[in-house]
Amino acid sequence: MTATSAPARGGVRSPAGGAVRGARRRWRLPFSPWHLVLIPATIVLIFPFVWLVITSVETPAEALHFPPVLVPHQLRLANYPDALHSAPFGRFFVNSAIVAVVTVLSNLVLCSLAGYAFARFRFLGRTALFAVIMATLMVPFQVTMIPQFIITKWLGVHVLAAVGINHIGALILPNAATAFGIFFLRQFFRTLPLEYEESARVDGASRLTVLIRIVLPLATPALATLAALTFLDSWNNFLWPLIAITSTNQMTLPLGLATFQGAHQTEWTLLMAANVMSLVPMLCIFFLAQRYFIRSVAATGLAGT
Amino acid sequence: MRRGFVSSEQFTGWAFVTPAAVIIGLFGAAPIVWSAVMSFQKNNLLTPSTPFVGTANYRQLAHDPVVAQAIQHTLIYTALFVPGTMAAGLFLAVAMNRKIRFISFYRTAAYATVAISTISEAIVFIWLFDPSYGVINYFLSWFGVPPQQFINSPSQALYVIVIMTIWGWTGFSVVIYLAALQGVPQHLTEAAAIDGAGPWQAFRRVTLPLLSPASLFLAVWLTINALQLFDEVYLSTQGGPLNATTVLVYYLYIQAFQQFNFGYASAIAYFLFLVIIVITVIQFRVGRRFTYYRS
Amino acid sequence: MAAISKAYLAGLLAVLTGTAVLAGCGTDSTSSGGGGSQTIQIWEGYTAVEAKTFSHMVAQYEAQHPGQKVSPLFVNNDNTLQKVLTAVRGGSPPDIAYLYGSWAPNVAQIPQVVNLTQVVKRPNVNWDDFWTGERAVATVNGRVIGIPAVVDNLAVVYNKTLFAKAGLQPPGPDWTWQEFVADAKKLTNPAIKQFGTAYVTPGTEDTVWHWEPLLWEAGGQLLTPDNKKAAFDSPAGLASLNTLRTMAVADKSMYLDPSDSAYGNLFNSGKIGMLVTGPWDLSSFPDVKYGVQVMPAYPGTSGGHQTISGPDNWVIFNNSPARVAAAEQFLLWYTAPAQVKYFAEHTGNLPTRQSVGDSAAVSQQMNTALPGISTFISNLGNVQQARPQIPQYPKISTILGNMVVSVLLGKSQPQAALTAAAQQVDQALAAG
Repeated sequence: MTATSAPARGGVRSPAGGAVRGARRRWRLPFSPWHLVLIPATIVLIFPFVWLVITSVETPAEALHFPPVLVPHQLRLANYPDALHSAPFGRFFVNSAIVAVVTVLSNLVLCSLAGYAFARFRFLGRTALFAVIMATLMVPFQVTMIPQFIITKWLGVHVLAAVGINHIGALILPNAATAFGIFFLRQFFRTLPLEYEESARVDGASRLTVLIRIVLPLATPALATLAALTFLDSWNNFLWPLIAITSTNQMTLPLGLATFQGAHQTEWTLLMAANVMSLVPMLCIFFLAQRYFIRSVAATGLAGT
Repeated sequence: MRRGFVSSEQFTGWAFVTPAAVIIGLFGAAPIVWSAVMSFQKNNLLTPSTPFVGTANYRQLAHDPVVAQAIQHTLIYTALFVPGTMAAGLFLAVAMNRKIRFISFYRTAAYATVAISTISEAIVFIWLFDPSYGVINYFLSWFGVPPQQFINSPSQALYVIVIMTIWGWTGFSVVIYLAALQGVPQHLTEAAAIDGAGPWQAFRRVTLPLLSPASLFLAVWLTINALQLFDEVYLSTQGGPLNATTVLVYYLYIQAFQQFNFGYASAIAYFLFLVIIVITVIQFRVGRRFTYYRS
Repeated sequence: MAAISKAYLAGLLAVLTGTAVLAGCGTDSTSSGGGGSQTIQIWEGYTAVEAKTFSHMVAQYEAQHPGQKVSPLFVNNDNTLQKVLTAVRGGSPPDIAYLYGSWAPNVAQIPQVVNLTQVVKRPNVNWDDFWTGERAVATVNGRVIGIPAVVDNLAVVYNKTLFAKAGLQPPGPDWTWQEFVADAKKLTNPAIKQFGTAYVTPGTEDTVWHWEPLLWEAGGQLLTPDNKKAAFDSPAGLASLNTLRTMAVADKSMYLDPSDSAYGNLFNSGKIGMLVTGPWDLSSFPDVKYGVQVMPAYPGTSGGHQTISGPDNWVIFNNSPARVAAAEQFLLWYTAPAQVKYFAEHTGNLPTRQSVGDSAAVSQQMNTALPGISTFISNLGNVQQARPQIPQYPKISTILGNMVVSVLLGKSQPQAALTAAAQQVDQALAAG
């Protein structure tokens, strides 16, 4: 798959902007030709999501068909309130939201600091520390979860109860800074031209000020991306909450979704309804955030260079 | 680079990284050291007695035929998944990096694939690839291709997982590349066009190099994740048929939580850890030659 | 620019506030509580109607026993082992956990697991009232380590409409595997993608335990009585695998389901004629007129129509003597005949006690609510033996799973597969 399948109908194409219709073109479509690429691609991408939504409004009997029924004969919107009432989902939503929001904010702050340091500063042990941080990504959780459980329990007993077992703080703290965030921002910061930071330093700004006032505004797309992906990871995290949470009112959404899955039978319609309700906040946040993915030329400060 | 601020750069550098480093060190590094110790023990997770057995676990690993199969599957999977996801993601990111109608919807659709739960993804793909009732065989029949066994076939099952996971991760690539494309200034590609470069040339010589830091990030990140594939296998093929989709992390999970060989599982994890380190270092080294940072 | 730094300050504030909020939030899960109330924590995987029934029963228990509190936590049964093992390592096991019977020989090695041998000998427990298969799975090396939580068995569920359409007589209680295979062949119609039967092929224990009753019915054994060597490489083993091979490879009358979930929906969609499955699936077939019959037999063998059962256990962990006593009290109440009857009647689960299962009234009432269940209840009498209760069983299960799958996929011939698997099992048993 390459970008050459871009409909080159003549004229200059700039990947970062809209179509520039050149004089060589003989006829125009009433819409951008990119739609012809994006629509089939989107169909492929959202197909499972479509199945999910359809199942969520089916009757349980119709959900028990294979191949799955894509045009149900009967709709059952009551699946949604039924799902909400089958377990304290309000509480699960709140728990998940707190964990996700605090995790995202914490990551934005801590990973910006660390990522910037790795990108721009030279300090003793920089490479070794970065290697250790990356190394933490390379051992599967199935093996580290027991030590992590023990450490978390110790912290809860000896340091701060709120981050111990069966508290949502225990779900936040281990992920308050992630190697992913540090690595991602380091890469992004390194793509920024040094001139702005250097001229600010010449003007006497401290490194922190340079980071906050110069670099971060330029990095809004990366920060928005990091926020969206960290939120997603936190919202969907299942295994660690499964291990760390031992009472129902501390459960997060994924644990709540699991309550529809029995050993032999799954309540598919309720599970999918709950899945939709779980996905919607994530999609809304992304939909709003993705405006920041495209930076206007003015914000880059590159105009007039 | 400025010199003469070295000492305060040392201090500032450490000050900036310390909070994150403490958290990652405590919850990431410490468990890793702990697990290393466990890999030299015989540990069934049941009794507190975990006697040291030296390198017995590692020797067992070297002679375990399933480990050899798992290594092969893991590497083949990674070699297909990483380029596939990067290419698909790059293509779609370029397509989505414009202000046309519904663009927010298209981008959200890409993100939705990352957000959807793995179990929903697994169910849909198992259905699509069902040998008798699946849509893929139906489409293939239009071209005269006989029905394929897909997940029932030891030779095809791994590729079904590849396709399933490429689908699941393309949105991630799209989001990363979209962010990176913002760092490609329009005036550079326009200048290239003025100099007579066609759109593909401009892409190859201007955009791609400027995207190389993001590409390196994706290559490294996707590889690290691919080498640790677990969820999709656990939720669809359970390592089968006949170990065809058994990858290293799935095998170590079985060893740990079904066969109660946690020491052995830790050893497998460490072996995988070494493999990942080697591959990642190679990627960074190679990347250094091909990555272009505008600084 | 200023807006960004303000945003960061806001972010920092939020993190600090969040931490402060969290310091106040969070409750302690288990506490002995003040004022003499005892709380026990129970990890279970009940969903849907089972969950509602269980909640109701817990409320009943608490009402009848003031001062006793039961705090349930939902954990998918598949995940319970991971969670329990981590909790045990971390020093915080639950008081009671629902654990699969197949884990029992290994779970028994956990020091915190309470030995219930003397408890079940108490007069009003009536331990022998539990089905043989259940007691076998709850006992490891003479130690009782759990109280039966669920019992089931495998029988044949068939689609009456498809049988009628094919002009076939529905299965009778004396039917044979030959008849099963012939029926499956007649019920298969590739043109409309209809299959005579199905088999689950993830290669896990699910694959294995659908084959084991065939081995037993053919008169075979899995292991030698001392559990030291494989015994399934025998004429009985060959017969059982040949039956499966004929359907899967020769007649192609068997739909192979690696996902372990499609087969039920296919049956409900009228695409499969017969299924060997358990009582839990009956409520998933609302669109089919189904019948239930015992498993077929191999004529001329001693095996009869015996079937296999997969009981699971409630296991008690020792957190403190007070909590153990409270846990025992709850479990003995919950598994008493009155509660077993209540649970069975409201959920359609098979009664875990013979006195309840043998009651015609209970059977009839359950059958009205869930047609066909009474056959499963009486089929419990066909459970004559259990899978070997040895710690190496998970290893053996993997070997056997691969054996069955390779035969079903046509990748190996039954005799060769048996011999190879027997060798591997011998090695696994010898390794200990």
